[in-house]
Amino acid sequence: MSVSELKERHAAATETVNNLRDRLIQRRLQLLDTDVAKYTAAQGRSPVKFGATDLVCCRTLQGHTGKVHSLDWTLESNRIVSASQDGRLIVWNALTSQKTHAIKLPCAWVMTCAFSPNGQTVACGGLLDSVCSIFSLSSTADKDGTVPVSRMLSGHKGYVSCCRYVPNDDAHLITSSGDQTCVLWDVTTGLKISVFGGEFQSGHTADVLSVSISESNPTRFITGSCDTTARLWDTRDASRAVGTFHGHKGDVNTVKFFPDGHRFGTGSEDGTCRLYDIRTGHQLQVYQPQGDGESLPVTSIAFSASGRLLFAGYANNNTCYVWDTFLGEVVLDLGELQDSHKNRISCLGMSADGSALCTGSWDSNLKIWAFGGHRRVI
Amino acid sequence: MPLKKPDSIHEDDDCLFAVEYDGPPLPYDIPRAVPINMDRIPVAAVVSPVCISAAMSFPVIQPILSIDSTKKQLSREKMVSPTSVIEHVSDSTAVSPTEEVSGELEEETTARGLAFCDSFEVSEEKESLDNESVLSMDYPSSRVTGDCVSETGGKKQPVVTFLGIASDDDDDDEEEDCNQKRTRVVPVKKQPQTKGKKGSCYRCFKGNRFTEKEVCLVCDAKYCSSCVLRAMGSMPEGRKCVSCIGCPIDESKRGSLGKCSRMLKRLLNDLEVKQIMKTERFCEANQLPAEYVYVNGQPLYPEELVALQTCANPPKKLKPGDYWYDKVSGLWGKEGEKPYQIISPHLNVGGPISAEASNGNTQVFINGREITKVELRMLQLAGVQCAGNPHFWVNEDGSYQEEGQKNTKGYIWGKAGTKLLCAVLSLPVPSKSISNASGDQLHSANSRSILDHLEHRTLQKILLVGNSGSGTSTIFKQAKILYKDVPFLEDERENIKVIIQTNVYGYLGMLLEGRERFEEEALGVMNTKQSLIEDEEGDAKSNIKTLYSIGPRLKAFSDWLLKTMAAGNLGVIFPAASREYAPLVEELWRDAAIQATYKRRSELGLLPSVASYFLERAIDVLTPDYEPSDLDILYAEGVTSSSGLACLDFSFPQTAAEENLDPSDHLDSLLRYQLIRVPSRGLGENCKWIDMFEDVGMVVFVVSMSDYDQVSEDGTNKMLLAKKLFESIITHPIFEQMDFLLILNKYDLLEEKVERVPLTRCEWFQDFNPVVSRHRSNNNNGNPTLGQLAFHYMAVKFKRFYSSLTGKKLFVSSSKSLDPNSVDASLKLAMEILKWSEERANICMSEYSMYSTEPSSFSN
Repeated sequence: MSVSELKERHAAATETVNNLRDRLIQRRLQLLDTDVAKYTAAQGRSPVKFGATDLVCCRTLQGHTGKVHSLDWTLESNRIVSASQDGRLIVWNALTSQKTHAIKLPCAWVMTCAFSPNGQTVACGGLLDSVCSIFSLSSTADKDGTVPVSRMLSGHKGYVSCCRYVPNDDAHLITSSGDQTCVLWDVTTGLKISVFGGEFQSGHTADVLSVSISESNPTRFITGSCDTTARLWDTRDASRAVGTFHGHKGDVNTVKFFPDGHRFGTGSEDGTCRLYDIRTGHQLQVYQPQGDGESLPVTSIAFSASGRLLFAGYANNNTCYVWDTFLGEVVLDLGELQDSHKNRISCLGMSADGSALCTGSWDSNLKIWAFGGHRRVI
Repeated sequence: MPLKKPDSIHEDDDCLFAVEYDGPPLPYDIPRAVPINMDRIPVAAVVSPVCISAAMSFPVIQPILSIDSTKKQLSREKMVSPTSVIEHVSDSTAVSPTEEVSGELEEETTARGLAFCDSFEVSEEKESLDNESVLSMDYPSSRVTGDCVSETGGKKQPVVTFLGIASDDDDDDEEEDCNQKRTRVVPVKKQPQTKGKKGSCYRCFKGNRFTEKEVCLVCDAKYCSSCVLRAMGSMPEGRKCVSCIGCPIDESKRGSLGKCSRMLKRLLNDLEVKQIMKTERFCEANQLPAEYVYVNGQPLYPEELVALQTCANPPKKLKPGDYWYDKVSGLWGKEGEKPYQIISPHLNVGGPISAEASNGNTQVFINGREITKVELRMLQLAGVQCAGNPHFWVNEDGSYQEEGQKNTKGYIWGKAGTKLLCAVLSLPVPSKSISNASGDQLHSANSRSILDHLEHRTLQKILLVGNSGSGTSTIFKQAKILYKDVPFLEDERENIKVIIQTNVYGYLGMLLEGRERFEEEALGVMNTKQSLIEDEEGDAKSNIKTLYSIGPRLKAFSDWLLKTMAAGNLGVIFPAASREYAPLVEELWRDAAIQATYKRRSELGLLPSVASYFLERAIDVLTPDYEPSDLDILYAEGVTSSSGLACLDFSFPQTAAEENLDPSDHLDSLLRYQLIRVPSRGLGENCKWIDMFEDVGMVVFVVSMSDYDQVSEDGTNKMLLAKKLFESIITHPIFEQMDFLLILNKYDLLEEKVERVPLTRCEWFQDFNPVVSRHRSNNNNGNPTLGQLAFHYMAVKFKRFYSSLTGKKLFVSSSKSLDPNSVDASLKLAMEILKWSEERANICMSEYSMYSTEPSSFSN
């Protein structure tokens, strides 16, 4: 078989695959006769109502001198780690709003950070050397204030865009990277366990931007990528993605599991958030802000404890819409509230118990929002 | 009679206003003035809601008082002849006794006044503006108010104070005075309330003066333990109210910086307390403001203060104030006092020392300063001849000589007794750095953090972008070698050595591959020849050995090498085995077949151009004890990681000529630059992280000029790829206001190549016509070469492209990245552009044509 013949067959096969994919997408669209919002509206439900003091900014965490790019809560919901462009990781006590650690990083271009489930270590990753660094909070800083790196997870060939610990497992961490792959690491040895994507055909075809691991089933995780898709993976089977979710028309900037673990939300450069169902593979709902103006990219999303609310930060001034996930309506804009951020909200994080939302912004502050008044946590 | 009264006032407080008022013919002025005062007061009241602090309620009260007084004035004026300004004065003095009572409370209220003033910073401007407008509109009226205030204050010259506020805002002392005075008025009304709450928490108004409280470093507000966390928030600058964040601290509290109270320790855990105390001590807002420190009569610049604080022997307990500093000997003291300490000499801070710096009267001079009696005593006891009022020059080591003489007469602190003597007379002795090592450590930690801050301020970031193969990494390495004292550390060099050796094996492998191909070709040619010339059959056997054939032993080695390469674990095996194979490699390299192949290296497409540099020295390089030189590192591929980003902090070393020419450029040496090289991968369409580089000062885009005939894997011209990347970067919204410098790299290769391969090979350069586009050139040796023309052409192409997209000017420079001078020139140009962009308004950018880059491009 000559080379040209092989090339021809490869092209033909690629086209077949593309056709099949398009048909699949078409078929899914046909089957999608309703969405959550229509159904809920038909059931006569009304959207969540917010009073003036129902969601208030109760803490402002000041201390960073650059844009905040990422944050993560501990499991006990009392501490937050944040990563900023000033090249520092700061560990905050969310209750007193004091800093417990300020870790100076060797490289200022940090993009992501994560708290380990036991709260003893933090991980961060970014542009330099495409390494994910692990810092132990118990190790003492030398007199410069630099904390020694306890473990370097190196092996990615592109920037590390996101890192998340596997729930209830301090030894395992999943990173996503600009080299189109995700990697499951053994933190104790610093070695790769498995690589998701890359040379395999079912992997992402562009930079992977975000990872979210299911709380209820830690072997499952989803990724969002610049190839406009989100993919579902099983950590035990690295050879292929369990599912691919189409629909977005721009880079998928952020993904987040729905609290029940059977659905997940995405936020994209195309200005929409979407809700997908893992079991059926269908798109359940599109959350697109009203108005005919230019659509604003979604930077980060978070679900409330019940999943009824979807918080989404947008890439303009300080917009952070609160969506009613059932009715697909914006019920609140955090940017309109008192004490809101003064610049783009770049990251969101809901505490594990759902009692507070933390937002990080380009105005170098973090804010903690809590449900005030007599409203119970939803 | 009214004329007499003003006179008496003249005598009392010799103020200018009375002179101006001498002519009393403007009786109606004063009534008109009063409404304006009224205007002013409401403004103060309006401003007050801005303040969120607990001290809020106080400002409101003060205006009420003034309204009262003005009302009184008003009523007076209605009755009394308006001419008698003095009447009001006396009137307000009559009020003053009640205010005198408030004097008891002075301490507390002053503090409150400060609190109020600081939280009001924003509004102050407004207020002062108002004052000004009052002044400008109606001078007399303002004077009246000024007078009132002064009387209540009762200490300072009223008019001066008032004018001080109104005319120049930057004098903080005056402002504070003013605020103190204003708030001193406050308790008159508020007295019972404040008395009841004296010592209570400023937020919850609970507790008494004995309850433990934390004090704000700026405004002196006191908070009880249950309020402190709410009032001070996350304390990003230490113990300050949320509203005081960013304000300079009260100087009297400098001593307590970083000293934690028991209350905080109780409220927070150790780690948190440590963090707060650290930021409190080192954050920028809490540093000593340089302009308050006067050295030899001159206020310091921030850089000078840093120099002073970071020297080997910094002055201890530096506070705002006047100091004298003897630069030759390092003697340091408060203005008008004897020396207090000997600090590092030769620091370029403050002005020249004056003779009266320490207010001496002995007529004996040390380095131009008349010394004090105590010093003279010490000198005499130390055995220094002081007869005849000599002028001494004293160096930092204590050696002294008489002015105008060459020979050193001795060492002042040479004898042990002198030091003891100095201790008795409480005079300083030169400190030995060894004696207080711990202290030094403390200082160095301190200075480092200050340097950190300085770095923050003056670090200019330069982003270096380019397609792979454009030479960004070479430029980066070049910069490292140029501007770093130690460009590569030991272990770095070790790594680089391994990389180079692996590379060389790789090149060898490519050569061997080429050899096989050439051998096949040669054999093929030979076979056809053989078939043509049948009669030479007898020689066929011997002729099978072509020019490219090698012996069986080398053949085995080469086969094995190629196999390892194909398997992809070259990097794993070879560095370790290099010792073993070195002789074999040597033999291989010397083999005629390899040499013959090497001669045809230009036909081997994969072999990079730098390969020949290493291959020619293959034997040296592959020995185990090879140490890469800087040049080797420069040539080596793959030294900087291709996937990650690399950054380099540097400052341009100053040449002696520059220093001599322009001493004002001294500050430039403090300017630090950071060169950031980003990987070309992933820069494509989804520049996901490019907005992280929003704060860079400029972007340097590198294009390899010799790329015009090269084709990438997918068949596109590399020059067009570079153009595409260039377009996506210059049009990125983040870089809208950014300056771009285009470095057209590999000029040496272009020069050589353009003679062989026409520039029109690239479709973007179709209209390159050297004859038509002949430029006037600075080159004096007659006509410009084709290489120069090609460079100019490309520069113009890029410039037009850039301005068509952005409407701005593009800076272009050519360089040969392997030549340190040309890289230096290009980066210096980048620095110039950064400097210019700061004063853009003054410089007409359109003047800057590509010809001005020529010296930098061609002089090398």
